[in-house]
Formats: sequence, structure tokens, C-alpha cells
Amino acid sequence: MDKTSTVSKKGVWKKRLMQNYSILVVILMLIIFTILNPNFLNSSNVVNLLSDSAPLMVLAAGMTPILILGSIDLSLGSLCSAANVMILVMMRKVFEVTGNTYGSFFISLIVTLAAGTLAGVLLGVIHVKLKVPSFIASLAFMSVWSSAALIISSSSVKLPKALKVTSDWYKIQIGPIGLPLILAVLFILGYHFLLTRTAFGRSIFAIGGNERTARIAGIKVDRYKIIVFAINGFCAALGAMFLMVKAQSAAPTVGDSFTLMTISAVVAGGTSLVGGAGSLLKSIVGVFIISIIKNGMNIVGVNAYWQKIVYGLIILVAVAISIDRTSRSRVVK
Amino acid sequence: MERKLLFSAKNITKSFYGTQALKGVDLEVHEGEVVGLVGENGAGKSTLLKIIIGVQPQTSGEMFMQGKPFAPADPMAANKEGVGMVFQEQSLIVNLSVGQNIFFGHEKDFMKYGVVNWKKMYEDARKVLEEVNCGYINPKKKVIDLNFATRQMVEIAKVVNMTKSEHGDHKCLILLDEPTSVLNEAEVQNLFKEVRKLTAKGHAVVFVSHHLDEVLEISDRIYVYKDGENAGNMDIKDATEEKLYEAMVGHSTTTEYYHLADQRKPEEEVVLETRDMGVSGVFKHCDIKLRKGEILGICGVVGSGKEEICSVVCGDVKPTSGEMYVKGKKVSYSSPAQALQDGILMIPMERHAEGIVRNLSVAENMALSNAPLLSEHGIVLKKKVDEQADRWIKKLRIKTSSKDAELISLSGGNQQKVVFARALASEADIIILNHPTRGVDVGAKEEIYALTREVVAQGKSVILLGDTLDECIGMSNRVIVMKDGLITGEFQADADEKPSQVSLVTLMM
Amino acid sequence: MVKNNQEALTIQEEFANKIKAENRREKLIKWAPVLVLVVLVVFFTIARGSAFASASNFVTILNQWAIPLLVALGLTFVIMIGSIDLSIDGTVGMAGSIAAVLLMNNMNSNNFGVFGIIIAILCSVFVGFLIGVIHVKLKVPSFMVSFAFMNICTGIAYVAYSGTPAKVTDPVFAALPKMSFLGIPLITWIALLMLAICIYIQEFTPFGRHIYAVGTDETIPRSVGVNVDRVKIKVFTLAGFLFGVAGVVGLIREQLGQASIGTGKMFPAQAAVVIGGTSLAGGKGGVINTIIGTLIMTVLENGLNMMGVDSNIKTGIQGVIILVAVILTTKRGSTIISK
Repeated sequence: MDKTSTVSKKGVWKKRLMQNYSILVVILMLIIFTILNPNFLNSSNVVNLLSDSAPLMVLAAGMTPILILGSIDLSLGSLCSAANVMILVMMRKVFEVTGNTYGSFFISLIVTLAAGTLAGVLLGVIHVKLKVPSFIASLAFMSVWSSAALIISSSSVKLPKALKVTSDWYKIQIGPIGLPLILAVLFILGYHFLLTRTAFGRSIFAIGGNERTARIAGIKVDRYKIIVFAINGFCAALGAMFLMVKAQSAAPTVGDSFTLMTISAVVAGGTSLVGGAGSLLKSIVGVFIISIIKNGMNIVGVNAYWQKIVYGLIILVAVAISIDRTSRSRVVK
Repeated sequence: MERKLLFSAKNITKSFYGTQALKGVDLEVHEGEVVGLVGENGAGKSTLLKIIIGVQPQTSGEMFMQGKPFAPADPMAANKEGVGMVFQEQSLIVNLSVGQNIFFGHEKDFMKYGVVNWKKMYEDARKVLEEVNCGYINPKKKVIDLNFATRQMVEIAKVVNMTKSEHGDHKCLILLDEPTSVLNEAEVQNLFKEVRKLTAKGHAVVFVSHHLDEVLEISDRIYVYKDGENAGNMDIKDATEEKLYEAMVGHSTTTEYYHLADQRKPEEEVVLETRDMGVSGVFKHCDIKLRKGEILGICGVVGSGKEEICSVVCGDVKPTSGEMYVKGKKVSYSSPAQALQDGILMIPMERHAEGIVRNLSVAENMALSNAPLLSEHGIVLKKKVDEQADRWIKKLRIKTSSKDAELISLSGGNQQKVVFARALASEADIIILNHPTRGVDVGAKEEIYALTREVVAQGKSVILLGDTLDECIGMSNRVIVMKDGLITGEFQADADEKPSQVSLVTLMM
Repeated sequence: MVKNNQEALTIQEEFANKIKAENRREKLIKWAPVLVLVVLVVFFTIARGSAFASASNFVTILNQWAIPLLVALGLTFVIMIGSIDLSIDGTVGMAGSIAAVLLMNNMNSNNFGVFGIIIAILCSVFVGFLIGVIHVKLKVPSFMVSFAFMNICTGIAYVAYSGTPAKVTDPVFAALPKMSFLGIPLITWIALLMLAICIYIQEFTPFGRHIYAVGTDETIPRSVGVNVDRVKIKVFTLAGFLFGVAGVVGLIREQLGQASIGTGKMFPAQAAVVIGGTSLAGGKGGVINTIIGTLIMTVLENGLNMMGVDSNIKTGIQGVIILVAVILTTKRGSTIISK
């Protein structure tokens, strides 16, 4: 009995729809929100929406491969918060000492990015080498980074006037699209290239699909998993920098809500939780979905309190749709 | 002594995706009888047991219990009819007590005013244990605190209890699947005592084991299965180990099947060597030499250690003793990735669990082990991946709708070919074939044999774990036999002078 | 016929010895939590003397123990079946907030009295039920479903009081925090009552036994006809109930119904369950373990407070503790996949 593929034409279309529904959702959202409030498609609102997406884009870039592996990082938001205050506090201190604006920015940026990467490595090592499930390891780190953020600065800090010049680049526009978003998209496209064209990146899909197979086939499973977590830490720090420059201030809890938003974005974009399937390109779309919802809810006047409910529902629906229920033998815990 | 017929199975067949595990077997068990069931791996014993206990249905054929048609939908239904089974894998819940395990699922029977009356349950548990002469076991003890032999007894007590009905003289059929694999000799004798007490009461036992001496000791009659068919059934007074071996292995298949004409002599160079290697509790004192261009077969029953040796050699598991040398260099691997760098790669036994990534395409599955070969400046070139896929699809005659089709859409045999292609495309020159033809149809099997010969002719070396003894002997230049974690024999298997299966089986069991 | 039984015995003996050694280790680990608790009490007594080791502080600890205990009890059963429930902060806050707006309060004219409390708890029961159903029937990993619901419930809490938390003005309700019996406040008695119920469920009902089985290996209970799906859904529903009670108790204490009643509750509960000895893999541990675990976390919090440790650092310390506890108790081996 040959078990070759006998998918009907209708089945093929259904499959394509399932895999690309996120773009349809974006279009749908745009239509809905414009109907609810025509101001939605105002040029200034569109600019706002686009620039708002940049930090989330960076964070989603880091989180996507983690979900492709079948893991999760609940500490993303807190790490982002810690990096957020770290970069500004450090900038101020370095500026006090050196008096160089751009210098202090870059030094602080590099140190913070390194710190974020290191944080990712730490989480990765504990998860991979000590076999601690990622949700609990990242849960633990969530509180560690939360505390770290509060220790670095227990209240919000402002970017001093003297240093404001280093944030000017954030306002550069190319048409309706701001420089930050362009940089963020370039970044995520670069990571996408890495994920789809290098041995390391392609292995991530194999590991997420069947870790045992990948291991026996000779893939450096442990090393690659840790690298994914390291890059995630880097992205948290990079996103934190975007947030700091955009707001021209830093706060020890500013990133906390991003964990939920990032996961929603990646999941809404279509990356499956089962592991082994997903795409950074899809996450770009997912980020826009979340941004549109956030922005749209504001414009239409929906109470901000509904946001959490909406994101939660998005996750449930997206995950329920994309989970492979046909695999009967899989035990889900 | 005329015994009443308790259970019978007639002409049972079972097919899975194109392979026939059972081709029409019969089994008859009388009251008070111990029926031994022997046969090679894959002969169909476990499959038949699973059908009898209701884990899976037969494809055709009938069963009767106490004269009435018997077709259990699940193990619980089988239990109600008086059939119980002690599975090879322990089925006790280790953090619960003995008594709680015996009555697991039936706690409701002991409920009083909404509370489970443990006192009564433990009293009943004691009675159950005494029935199988295990009154010395304290039912309140947690299973995790018992040794394996005691756990085995608890399993038997549990099964006997589950299958007994309240209606008077109901005789039960108890199936024991390899019950002695974790027992020492004294404990085996103890088990036999319990079995005899059971049969003295009129119950019947089916005893499946690869320890032929034990089967000969305890059985009244013995069935031999081979390749999914009845290969003989004899009374204990007529049975000897030699007769059993003969029935179990029978004649070997044609030389063409294994392409014996292409079997070459290996070179002198030793590419892989293990010295006194062992994994605690699994195997020990293993000295193996693999020569360049050689196919080295390892035979043994499940649990003999042959699969675990392969896990160590391919880098998946670290040995607890001994050393390994690859091309003269001492090595110690902590992952298969490291072993691959020295040219060692395994094609695993459990294709679904460890061999494929189901949702990746055929081309991608093939490229798992040799990405660096397909890259330029660190970037994997899709062109090369596709070329590789096309090449192997053609060469191995892989039936697939396209090289980008999801691997799960291919048949088992074709999936295996893809896994093979992956190994061959990689730079590995020491390939471990772990049951490479399992779940593969006959035509594909022969192609794999031809391929293996070709691979070895190119100077690569192979360690082969065969699906059947026949395959192992037919394909290998040399065969090592393992039993209970030790190497018990080594045979030259030149093309013109293959050892007989009987001589191997003797050392396996 | 060669029969190397002499050395063959050794392989089996090696294996048996390995298992024995593992069991011995398990036994030692079983006593570790009690040891940790004793060490903590001794340490804080030395560090803070009579301020810590006094009768009044003992009562304070009991009171601080109430809500973490309630939450950890619900979480214990979930972890025993091998799953996880991240929804705690949301469900607890939701129950408290809903109760506040249904009781007589300063924001609206509701006065549902006891029914208000019942409805609030029913809401969290329903959420638990939904989590269980979605996890079991739609095969969504429990961490994801519960994570989604944590946020949904927090959102519902906010929406329930729309910005300004409601202050309960019901006189009976306002008197509750001051009620006590034998020197122990009502709140703690409620927690102890739930504890007794949970012990009963775990030890004296078939459901309790089935939980262990499902957590050990699903195929075993399935093969004897236990409805594994139903067991799992019941566990999540029970957890929802306990979280709801915790939310109401939190409301009693604060008299103000806001989502933050739930904030930070999951963390110590998670730590408590793991430290107490209930394994994340499932099938092991139980309510008694959680008693010790929650006592450890409460004593730790109480002691650290007394020593003036910055509250900002406290959560960090809890995180490290969870990490260490899990690292020490996780199984390692090349065939074990952790995600």
C-alpha cells in the first residue's frame, strides 16, 4: 500500500490559505478599523503606526526562531526593560566622564548589546545543557532581570538635553516610513537570510521538527540552540535601545508588556508552536497585525484594558488553528 | 491428561502498510497448561499477543475464549473475558502503592461515603497477593521501593486479579511477554513456582521468551513462529533446543537476494576499534574491530546490547568503561555531531522517532548531515541541495511526487531510502545501519542490499544490525553474536561459506 | 553451548544496582525540603532573634502563608499531571476584581453579597475549565493556553472595574479580615480548609490516584479505562477554583478589588511547588510537599523583609531559587528532550 500524497486540489488551496492567512488578516484589520474611524488611514496616523512597530519588529525577530524550536522565552520583556535602563544610565555616566555624546551612546549600546547576548547565552546554557524546560528557565530569569532593572534604576530616567542629539536619527523619515522601521526590517530580513540560507539556520528547522533526528544526523543541536537564545538576548537589548531612543527616556518596566505582544505577533504571523515551521517573513506580518490592533484600538477609542484580552485571544485562536491535530501519537503536556 | 480447550486463535493475519506481520497463525491453549511461544525477532509473537489482549485488532482470523467468540476492543474488554497480559514494559505506577496499583481504575469499588476505604482495599490486596503466593509482599509499600522481581510478581497479581470474574470457576488466560528479562536465576525459579501454582488452579499461561532453556523448563507445549507463520508446535516431551532452533530459523534465502556475488573481502586496515567498552547495566567487555570495506554484522535479541553499542559508536551515548579508536586515533564523543566529523554516522532504527523530520521536504531531509558540503562561503546553495536530491531520487528510485514533497507523504520504504541517501551524501565513511530494512517492502529491501554492497565497494565500512538473522548473515563479511550484554561469538561469513543460522542462534539465546 | 551466566548476572546486577542507587538518591532528596525549612528558620532566628522567632511573627507567617498556599495547591495538581498553569496572576486578580464589583461597593449599586463571591469564583472555575478543554481537546501546550488566559483574565479584571478599583463597602465583608478563631484569622482558616479538601482529594478519592497515573505515563491509565482527558480537565478546573478562592481571599485582605491582587502570585507558588519536591515531569510529589514548599517561600519572604532586603531584589532571589531547585531535580540524558 503506497502512501503517496493524494491531496485534492481543494486541499492544496486550503493548505495555502492556512499558511498565509496572516496577510488576509492584515487587510481585514485595515478595512475594519478604517470603517470604524476613517482617521485611521490618516497620514500622520500611518506614520505613527509604522514607527511604533520598529521595536516590536526587532523583538519578534529574536523570538521567532525560539518558537520554531518549540521553546519559549518569557523573560524577553524583563530583559528588554533591564537593557532599556542600562543603556541610558550608562550613557549618562559615560557622558559625565568623557563629555562625548555619540561616543557615550555607542559605548553604552555596545556594552548593553553584549550584556543582552550574554543573558541569552546564560538562559540558553541552563535550558540546553542542564535540560531545564525553557518556560521555567525563562520564567525564573524574568524575575531576575526584573530585579536587575529595578536595581539599575528604580524609577524612570530621562535622556538629558545634552544627549538628545544622539536620538535625532530616530526621527528621520523616508516618505511615510521612518528610519527605525527600515533598520528593523533590514535587521529581520538579515536574520531571515541567516535562518534560511546557512547550515545553522536550516538546522533550526530540523531541530524544531524532530530534535532526536537532528541530533543523530550529526547536527550540532546544543550549540545551535544556545546561539538562538543568544541572538534573542541581543534582540531584546537592541529593541530596548529603540525604545529608549524613541521615548527619550528609560523605565525599569517599559519592556514588560512586550513579552505578550511579541509572542502574539509571532504566533499571529503564522509561526507554528509545534516547532519546525515558521518564518521571519511571517513574523513581519504578525508584527503589523499587532501594531494595527494596538493603534486601531487607540484610534477607535477602545479602552486600553481590552488590549490584553485581545492579544490573549489572538494567541489562542492562532495557535488553535495552526496546531497539527492529526498527529495522534504526540503527547502534549 | 485431557484438558479442556480454553482459548484458540485460528488463521490470524495482521498487515501493516504493506508488510504482513502475521500470515495466518494458529494458537490453542488448554486449561491448566503453560504454552511456550518462541521465535526470532519479528516472527510475530508480540504482534499476536497484542492482538489477543486487544491492543490492536487482527486483519482477519478468529479467536475463541471458553468456546465463545472473542474479539476484545481494548485491554479492558479482554480482561472482562478473562484474558490478561503482563507486558514487557512495566506497567505499574511507581509512586503509588502495591495495593493501589492492583486495584488501579477500580477504586470506586471501595468507596464508602465518598471516601476510598483504603483499609478494605489493602485487605483485598493482601488476598490477591496470597492467591499468587506473594503474601510476603506488603501491599502498602510503594512500588518504587520494590526490586524488579517483586514488581514482576505484583504485575502478575494485578493481571490475575483483573481477569478474574466473580462467576465461580472462571479460568483465565495469562500472557507473559518476556517476563524474565530483568530477573536473575533465583528470581526466575520463583516466577516459575508462581506460574505452576496458577496452572494448578486451572488457569493457563502463554510464556513468550527468547530464553529457550526457560521455555523448555516451564512449558507443556511449545509453538514456534517464524516470519509470521506457524513453524511447528511440539509437546514438551518431544522438544529439544536443537529442534527449536531448526524450526525457528529454517532455510536461508537465495544468494541473489543479498547480492553475494558482490561481496568482497575487506582490507586489512582497521578503521574502528573498541576495547573493553561498556555501558553500566547494558553491556560490557566489548572488543570490536571494523575493517575498511567490511560489513560487520551484530546479532542478538532485543536487550542483548547490540543497539546500545551502536548508540555509543555513533556518539549518542557515552560509554562508562573502555575506549574507542577511529582510524588509530583515540576518541571520545559527547554528541553524534562530533562522531560525524570523524566520519561516523548512524541510520537509526526508529525511523519515525529518530530518522526523519516529517514536515521537512525530501530534499531537506537528505541535506541534514552534509550542509557544509552544499555551501559556498557559509551559504547553503539551494541549487546544490536540489541537485543532490534529484541525483539520489533517481539513483535510489525513490517514489515521491517531488523533491519538495513533505517526507511524511512518502511510504515507509521510500522514507528509509531518503534516510539512506542522507547517510550516503554525507562524508561519513563508517556507516551504522540499524535495522535498515525495517518496515520496508521486499523490493526496496533488495535495493538497499545492493546499495550497501556498492557503498562498501567504494571503501566505506558498515556496521549492520539486521532485521533478521538471515539478513545479518547474508550481508555481512563477519558476524558478532551478543547475548545479555556480552559478545558470545564471532563468525566469518565469507560469500562461499556462510555460517548456519543455528550456530548463531545457539549463542543468542 | 556457551552460557556466560556468570557475567550475565553482573549486567543485570549492575542495572539493579543503578536503580537502587537512584532510589536512594530520591529518598534523600525527599527530605531536602524539610531540611531547607529548618535551616531557614534557624538562620533567621540567629539573624533577627526574637523579632523573628516570636509568637506574633509566627501568626504573621501563618497569615502570609494563606494566599500562597491556596495558589500553590491549585498549581500542585496541574504540575502532577505534567502540565503547567501560567494563568494564576490573571485568574486570581480577575476573581478578586469581579467579586469587588458584585459586592456592595463604592462604584456601582450592586449588592450580591455571598452570590457575588460565588459568581466570581465560578468565573475562575470556568477559566480553568476552558484552559483544560483547549489544552486537551485542541492539543495546545498548556503553557501557551494558560499564558494566553493569564492576559485575558488580567484584561477582564481591568475591564470589570474600568480604571478605578472598587472598594468594597459591604459591612459584613469589611469585618472579615478582623475575624479570628484561636488567634488565627479567618483568612488562614479558609486556606487550611482548602488544604484539608485537597488532601482528601489527593489521598482518598480515585481521582487523586488517577492524577498520579496520568502524570507518570498516560498509556497506563488509558489501558484500564480511565478517561485521561477528563482527569486533566478536572485538574485544571480544580486549579481554577482554588485560584478563585485565592482571589476572593486577597480581596478580603485588601478590601479593594484590583487586578494586582493577582500580581506576583504565580512566582512564589511555582517555586514552592518545585522546592517542595513535586517534579515538573509529573507523577510525583503532592499536597504535603507543597505545604513544606510554601512554608519555605513564606518564611523566606518574611525573613528577608525583616532583614530589610530591598523588595526589588526579592523577586530576583526567588527566580534564582526556582532555577536552582529545578536544576537539581531535572533528569538528564541524551535521549531526554526539553523544550
